[in-house]
Amino acid sequence: MSRQISKGAVLALAVGGAFIAPSLHAETTEANPKGVMTAQTCAGCHGTQGYIEDSAYVPLAGMSSDRFIQAMESFADGSRPSTLMGPLARAFTDEEIRAMANYFSSLPKERGQADKHDEGNDS
Amino acid sequence: MSTISRRNFLKLAGAGTASAGLLGTPLARAASASRVVIVGGGVGGATTAKYLKLYAPGIDVTIIEPKREYQRPYGSSEVITGQVTMDDITISYEALKTRHGVNFIHDAAADVDYDNKQVITAGGETVGYDRLVLSPGISFDFDAIDGLTAELAETKLPHAWDAGDQLLELKDQLESLPENPTVIIGPPPNPYRCPPGPYERAGLIAQWLLDRGDKSPKVVILDPKNGFTTDYSMLHAWNDLYRFNIPKPARSKYSEDELAQLKTHDEPGPLEWVMGDLGGQILKVDANTMTVEAEAGVFEADMINIIPPLKAAKIAFDFDLVDGSGWCPVDQKTFESIRHPDVHVIGDSCIAGAMPKSGYAANSQAKVLALQLKALMAGNEPLEPVFQNTCYALAGNTDSGMFVADVFRLKDDKIVRVDEQRYLPFDATEGQIRLAALYQHNWMKAFTDDCFS
Repeated sequence: MSRQISKGAVLALAVGGAFIAPSLHAETTEANPKGVMTAQTCAGCHGTQGYIEDSAYVPLAGMSSDRFIQAMESFADGSRPSTLMGPLARAFTDEEIRAMANYFSSLPKERGQADKHDEGNDS
Repeated sequence: MSTISRRNFLKLAGAGTASAGLLGTPLARAASASRVVIVGGGVGGATTAKYLKLYAPGIDVTIIEPKREYQRPYGSSEVITGQVTMDDITISYEALKTRHGVNFIHDAAADVDYDNKQVITAGGETVGYDRLVLSPGISFDFDAIDGLTAELAETKLPHAWDAGDQLLELKDQLESLPENPTVIIGPPPNPYRCPPGPYERAGLIAQWLLDRGDKSPKVVILDPKNGFTTDYSMLHAWNDLYRFNIPKPARSKYSEDELAQLKTHDEPGPLEWVMGDLGGQILKVDANTMTVEAEAGVFEADMINIIPPLKAAKIAFDFDLVDGSGWCPVDQKTFESIRHPDVHVIGDSCIAGAMPKSGYAANSQAKVLALQLKALMAGNEPLEPVFQNTCYALAGNTDSGMFVADVFRLKDDKIVRVDEQRYLPFDATEGQIRLAALYQHNWMKAFTDDCFS
């Protein structure tokens, strides 16, 4: 195993900055576990933690919780036309939708800001 | 382990910024990290590794995967019909290695020592783990169909169901077909990877032949089943686009009102679906005479694409993780193997209740597993899981999209589907159908990035 550990250590050193970003996420999994559990199911289309660039999919990171909840409610009742968001919005509970809204609204809109935020926290 | 016990270390690691001082140096972290070893660098393995590093950066994560690059099977039928290239479906592991700090051993996992918690690679390296994850994918039961062999799959009868060069072989065969050929597609019985996939492939091939200028090509689907995920949308789209007549036994999928809106075509188009009740079960194939014998009779073909019945990947058998069903039984909350402790199986190989064998399902299971591993390795209770699956598919015409979308929860220890509408409605507008296709194309990048970048 010594090979593996040293390899990990080298990588860790080589990309030091990249290791900083996860601390925020690690913290969020403790603070809002239901939000993390539910919101991560969105990431297969909307990007990891809702960060996505130049896509037909709407970025979710940094969306205000009011806007998120309003969007899900209007998808669910059909007043906002959709393809698959109608069925998905109806399948989640109100509590889950609130937890997701809290999760996404707690993240900065831009991933760059997230990194800065993290670096600030860590240094 | 160093002087900090593993459990205490992880509690500290899980506390995030509060522990930043302790974790300040990567060396300290690596020296005392507990180890997750993942066998298989596909969607499930890659997503588990990435999300573990996001959620629990203190855990040392190693993927054992012989291939240097990944070829995605999702969306790969479009290689056959030329919308995308092999380059387009080839994905680098670089971001996992450098951005997320995942260790890679590019070798095959050859053996496991459960007593000493070690995986042994083909090259003889011993890799210790605290928790072992397998996301090894599928293998094929060639013996199930008389006349089909693994060797023939590499030449005349490619299944092309696990990416790789068989896609190019099938593409070559398609491009060499005589005018107005007969193509046979043989979807596998349940359960199998990518439920809408064989039908999407049939549609893509039919559209390709029409685009080539063929006036009366035939794409015959010989199916052991009477239905498939997205059938409600797919059959309707074919009825509309390809003068496809919905077989009588399948008409029960629609309401009276909907049936009245479906067309009956006097001169049917290229697609024919011989469902199970109509004798679609394939009994025998002859690569020399290019004939397929099904319950309904003998079919001559210019190209044959049979996807054999599937089972768990070979390594899952080698590691004694498979039961009599051919798949891996797991605790559906944590994906821990029923057969061996501290070993978790996700993705196509595992039995995950109502979840399909799809890329999205493997990705969703991987994220849940990352959270469960974080909890379990810190000595905490596992969480209540929520899963999602979305599969997009094309009818053939690449502007005509459809999907299945589901949320899953645990009920009485089994993963069950939240019973909601899951397809586009029958009266979907042209705009919704085109949007579904647009999302399908955007999904390839968005999803790949979520797994691998």
